[in-house]
Amino acid sequence: MNKLLHHKWTPWVLLALAAAFPFVAGAIEANYLVRVGGVIGLFMLLGLGLNFTLGYAGLFDLGFIAFYAVGAYTTAIAMKAGAPGALALVLAVLVTLAVRALLGLTILRLRGDYLAVVTMGFGEIARLTINNLDSLTNGPKGMQLAPWRPLGFLSADPNVQYYLMILAAVAVSCVASRRLEDSRVGRAWIAIREDEIAARLSGIPVREYKLLAFTLSAAFAGLAGGLFAQWEQFVTPESFVFWESILVVSIVVLGGMGSIPGVLVGALVLVGFPPLMQWKLSADWINYRYLFFGLILVLVTLFRPQGILPSSRREAELTS
Amino acid sequence: MTKKHSFLLEVKDLAQHFGGLKAVDQVNLCINEGEIVSVIGPNGAGKTTFFNVRTGVYPGTRGESVFCGTEIRGKHCHDIVCRGVARTFQNIRLFANMTSLENVMVGRHGRTSQFLLGPLLRTKAFKQEEKEIEHMAKELLEFVGLKSLGNELAKNLPYGAQRKLEIARALASEPKLLILDEPTAGMNPTESQDLVTLVRKVRDRGVTVLLIEHQMRVVMDISDRVIVFDYGVKIAEGKPKEVVANARVIEAYLGKEGA
Repeated sequence: MNKLLHHKWTPWVLLALAAAFPFVAGAIEANYLVRVGGVIGLFMLLGLGLNFTLGYAGLFDLGFIAFYAVGAYTTAIAMKAGAPGALALVLAVLVTLAVRALLGLTILRLRGDYLAVVTMGFGEIARLTINNLDSLTNGPKGMQLAPWRPLGFLSADPNVQYYLMILAAVAVSCVASRRLEDSRVGRAWIAIREDEIAARLSGIPVREYKLLAFTLSAAFAGLAGGLFAQWEQFVTPESFVFWESILVVSIVVLGGMGSIPGVLVGALVLVGFPPLMQWKLSADWINYRYLFFGLILVLVTLFRPQGILPSSRREAELTS
Repeated sequence: MTKKHSFLLEVKDLAQHFGGLKAVDQVNLCINEGEIVSVIGPNGAGKTTFFNVRTGVYPGTRGESVFCGTEIRGKHCHDIVCRGVARTFQNIRLFANMTSLENVMVGRHGRTSQFLLGPLLRTKAFKQEEKEIEHMAKELLEFVGLKSLGNELAKNLPYGAQRKLEIARALASEPKLLILDEPTAGMNPTESQDLVTLVRKVRDRGVTVLLIEHQMRVVMDISDRVIVFDYGVKIAEGKPKEVVANARVIEAYLGKEGA
């Protein structure tokens, strides 16, 4: 099992299967699952993003969904102003990065619980601002987006198109995460998580590296938010409540902090399970989703506190 | 500025006060290149605080700390490390969930430069640097005798090996001065002897060593010079034999005769 998991072809096989999925699902009339798949993918992106802050650098962030919101609203506003879809996505990433960097500059001197509380506060401030800034965001009534369907040649179904775009974004994000993790930069982040003072005295400029991890996180959230807005063609502040931040933190913790496969599995389990239940059993089951969510968290915490797929360190060749 | 003094490290009137408590006060000392110098003193004498000021953990209240002709008091830790001062800790501080090899590789941070784009695009320069980092880390693991444990997580190493791993990590930054804070704490005589041998080997690499030590046998055995602290003040300095005969030192450790 472990060998299979670490085989070098495993990611590619999984990617191919995931890419083929919407076409298979279309054939067996399970279009609903493609939609679910897309949502899972968005949360995978969010999880991979938060993994930089929480998994690598060990900084608790309970307001991460705010940056999903910034991405979504930046896209909506840019497209309303006439920007093409691709440009809107780029803008979403850039604006989210900038907001995140500014926040990081002001709050990263805080640690642990204090940082968690302040980020939580920021998450709420962001949502309330969006809710009340009628001139820019149209407040609680939400914003409509013009359709952007760049993958029309692959499928007429927008759900399939966005599923595939999100899948591509997840794949690229995984590669980027993996490459940074396995480098001087990634080692510095993990060293900071493990022991900040020892990291400082090993020559790592801790403040700068924390800010870097914190900021980079937002690129993934911004991209996810942009894709979400374009897919739904509608954004409202309702989508970015505190609960969603908790969900992203749970994905990272449950999957295994600092573990890329862990984040993917965490999103699959936590985001995929409730709609799957609803699909297979009956619509009533969705009322029990928080019960199952809690049950999963309790079981994992009891029996596998390091996460479902905890990160494993790279083994070096020691002979020679 | 350049040839005024040939000391590796020159500390003048260094002080660190915490409110009214003078943890370190009026400390003057010089360290020559290639020496092994021990700092001793009763518990709470200010030894560790002195080291913390030296390595930038505390800013210091007043005084000068000149290393290789540059004032370094109040500079950032990472800056001081890059100038060639590395240290280990009294209570071991390893990166517990990283492998031994990775711990040493982290120690290379200040001597390497690849940033975001290199790792993301896996450029030639990046691969080359990674190879060098890994090579040097392996070489250092071998130097301290931990090569076979390279893939073990640091937290799973036996105690003595953890101490050695800290030294390897510190050496990875190519220091001119290595500061060891109680390297033999909690070790049995055989392990201590092992460590003394290692410290000599480190010195033979051309690294000056400054250490805090409690085991007098180790201090007598290893030091070229001994400096004694008590209540934050330097009370004696000299060759090991001279220092143990010094009346103030005996008083600090054992109390005044007839008191």
